[in-house]
Amino acid sequence: MARYAMVIDLQKCVGCQACTMACDSEYEVPMGYARTHVRYAGPQGTLPHLVAGPYIAQCNHCDRPACVHACPTGATFQSADGIVKVNRDLCIGCGFCVEACPYDARYLNPVINKVDKCDFCASRLEKGLPPACVATCTAHAKYLGDLEDTRSEVFRLAYEQGAHRNETDDVHIGPNVYYLGKPQNIGLALATFPPRRPRLVTQGQFWRGVVKPLVLAAIGATFIGQAVAFFHQLRTGEKQFED
Amino acid sequence: MSSRISRRDWLRRTSIAGAFTAGTAQAIEPGRPAWRGAERVEQIATNCEMCFWRCGVLAEVRDGKVVKLAGNPDHPLTAGRLCARGNAGSQLLYDPDRLKRPMLRTGARGQGKFRDISWDQALDFLAARMTDLKRKHGAESLAFFPHGVASTFFATLMKAFGTPNSAEPAFSQCRGPREVGYALTFGAGLGSPEPVDLEESKLIVLIGSHIGENVFTSQVTAFSTALERGAKLIVVDPRFSVAAAKANWWLPIRPGTDIALLLAWINVLIEDGAYDKEYIARYAAGLPELAAHVREFTPEWAECITELPAGQVRETARAMAAAKPAVALHPGRHATWYGDDTQRARAMAIVTALLGSWGRKGGIFLPTNLHAGSGPFPPFPKTRERADGAGTRYPLASEEQGLTMGLIEATLTEKPYPIKGWIVYGQNVLESIPRREQTLKAIGQLDLLVVVDVMPMEQVQYADLVLPEATYLERYDPPAVVSSAKRPFIAVRQPVVDPLFDSRPGWWIAKQMSQRLGLEAYFPWSTPEEHLESIVRPLDVNIRQLRARGAVSFAGRPYIDNRQPGDGALFPTASGKIELYSPMLKQLGFDPLPRFNGVNDPPTGYFRLLYGRAPVHSFARSQNNAWLDALMPENQVWINSDAARDRRLDEGDRVILENQDGVQSLPVAVRVTPGIRRDCVYMVHGFGHASRALRRAYHKGASDTRLMTRVGIDPIMGGTGMRVNFVRVRKAQERG
Repeated sequence: MARYAMVIDLQKCVGCQACTMACDSEYEVPMGYARTHVRYAGPQGTLPHLVAGPYIAQCNHCDRPACVHACPTGATFQSADGIVKVNRDLCIGCGFCVEACPYDARYLNPVINKVDKCDFCASRLEKGLPPACVATCTAHAKYLGDLEDTRSEVFRLAYEQGAHRNETDDVHIGPNVYYLGKPQNIGLALATFPPRRPRLVTQGQFWRGVVKPLVLAAIGATFIGQAVAFFHQLRTGEKQFED
Repeated sequence: MSSRISRRDWLRRTSIAGAFTAGTAQAIEPGRPAWRGAERVEQIATNCEMCFWRCGVLAEVRDGKVVKLAGNPDHPLTAGRLCARGNAGSQLLYDPDRLKRPMLRTGARGQGKFRDISWDQALDFLAARMTDLKRKHGAESLAFFPHGVASTFFATLMKAFGTPNSAEPAFSQCRGPREVGYALTFGAGLGSPEPVDLEESKLIVLIGSHIGENVFTSQVTAFSTALERGAKLIVVDPRFSVAAAKANWWLPIRPGTDIALLLAWINVLIEDGAYDKEYIARYAAGLPELAAHVREFTPEWAECITELPAGQVRETARAMAAAKPAVALHPGRHATWYGDDTQRARAMAIVTALLGSWGRKGGIFLPTNLHAGSGPFPPFPKTRERADGAGTRYPLASEEQGLTMGLIEATLTEKPYPIKGWIVYGQNVLESIPRREQTLKAIGQLDLLVVVDVMPMEQVQYADLVLPEATYLERYDPPAVVSSAKRPFIAVRQPVVDPLFDSRPGWWIAKQMSQRLGLEAYFPWSTPEEHLESIVRPLDVNIRQLRARGAVSFAGRPYIDNRQPGDGALFPTASGKIELYSPMLKQLGFDPLPRFNGVNDPPTGYFRLLYGRAPVHSFARSQNNAWLDALMPENQVWINSDAARDRRLDEGDRVILENQDGVQSLPVAVRVTPGIRRDCVYMVHGFGHASRALRRAYHKGASDTRLMTRVGIDPIMGGTGMRVNFVRVRKAQERG
């Protein structure tokens, strides 16, 4: 079985946002939200001794994903190839996973009221296509592949070239995005955009986030059922229903 | 009417209803928009026009609607990659603020009052007014301000009509000095895309070029490929650009002193005897004069001028010598900086020559000409000399591309003869040409102003007649015949959807006009497909394949070693050699060798205003694009942290910039950073739109062009140096 991972070469990346735009367009991401986007760290230091560089934030498809643990309905799950996905049928839009993700890689899509995130373009992978961001990357700085295949490019880049993962002493849940680049640039980028501690759900939030929508959904479904029955009855008459 | 439903029935029905509501909300595949199901989506190849690079695009079209633009993997130059702008092209196509139908002005100029008219009325009106102008003042009284490939059809019409007066910023506000400086040295300019062999280079030298912030897809790919292969990088820039952050050497040069640095580099290469001796002996003339000229221009001399340590100047020169000839000294693109720009380009060309990089792997590669058809035109009528001084007052200015500001001045002064009408085609005369007040004054004197454009830029408000052009996704344009690629190629632009609203493609507008003006003979084709065929026929290309794949490439001969006799002279200068010393400049009364003539420091309290590009916007064209606006809604002013502290400015404060002549900007946010020198500020060009009809972009950020009331005129080719303005910075008044 494959273990999908991404390597991002930050020395090659110029921060042009082509990946962001290709992803937004591929998935109709509402404006102001993103499944992947480029940030810029620095410049830092004293002229002329400066450091700066881009950083790409997206889902890390972690080995121990905090989001999967936080999801109350099972909508967020990890498939056997390591890709963390959201099943929209099950997602109730409670946003717990958004709070849980240390990389802020998830957002609640206000158009469909479901959580959305990077899934390494799983549906494109099935068709043999690279992810949209990898395909369009002007700097050819993003690589997706199988980390368990020792002959793969991502294996070579991640392990043999000494790539870094965005982890801290506080947060180490096995991210699968690997960053390459000059040490001082990587250091600055990871220090500027570190993972945060997962925010867990309190009882009150649980009530507001899960129970209420579920109850409302149940009430709604009941109402619709009643209405359907009522109109059906109007149309077909009473007789059929008399025992 | 009493009815009873059994509990079981109720449960059954509600659960069905529940399943039904869940069913409608469900996506076909998790994470995919619902429309991307099993249906077949049509894919059409074309090329992009979000900027001028013309990357290959595959448009996904469903039911006549563009649902996605992606890179075309079959495109020989861009191989499936598209930048952010290219990915966002559909938001130009579907921009609700687009010009929708022909309009005739009803109010005063600038008031923005129009009435809609039909195309027949519009074109009849234009033909009548053009004929009128020709009768009263002669055909040359009509000036043409084009931009972009679509305008080439109309350019033909203007030449056939009999006016020589066409000018575009591409020359006098952009590439002109570079083309002239390199042509003086090597006999040929560079063209576009620039034939810089980045991916094969061992050392890349960028002088003010900010690759990465300035994004042309294939150029970025080549740049990053070189870095991956271990190429070294020298970046000369007063600002710590994205490229500078990747560099081995960053040289934060004092603005305007690049020629001094280049002279010192030449000095080191010659004094060390580290130039390519065999190459120079074989191909170049003028080395003794050059050597004598630069003897005094030591790195220590340069240090006093450039504020770069002499040791660093020497070290970088030696790094170049070590990597020669695989040194890609990028010639830049926007080169009109200080008015001495042709001489700076000359100095860059001389360094390139000394390193033996021209025509060599990893340096500047050679174009391979494609002999495409051009159509059997009747000859164009003879005209008077140009009104802008191109070819006369400015002897080396391009007579094909002209001098925009020269035409504007001629309009104002009516010298050498009156110019009474302007047709502005895809160009933005108020945002791309400095001295805006002068442009507005000239517009006030016109008998006729016609604007052909896609978007309602500010200039539209002053137009007598507005013609809405179709976007690049809705029209045929002349195909791109690109010789300055390692594999030369031809690529098509063809419509992927029908024109929206009442817009029309450029070819149609020009052809219709030709019929009204009796100039049909210059358009000897009935459809754009026929026109395309006439161009590609001599190349022996299967046109169906070309249209399906978008592009066809040919074998190239990019290096000196693989040139063939049919490729023409290697160095088509007068001497047939690389002219390190330029007899032509000498003959015209200019310095035959580049010289540093000094640069003014900013007055106390002022900064030099520098400007550049952002990867997600093109010029002043893309700010109203919904997706690009979301990525970058406004620009910021970069200001050095120490200078900001002195002025009590914090990150994000909104400030007004006021230039040396009292012209003020709109409020704009400051970016406080150590990544820029103390003597300059920097902003991305193209923001601060004054057109209310651009509802998204209106008054967001600030315009750099508006602050350019002064220009440094290049005496050799008439370019307008734009980095000669100074601004002071004060906090914007807090409102309410």
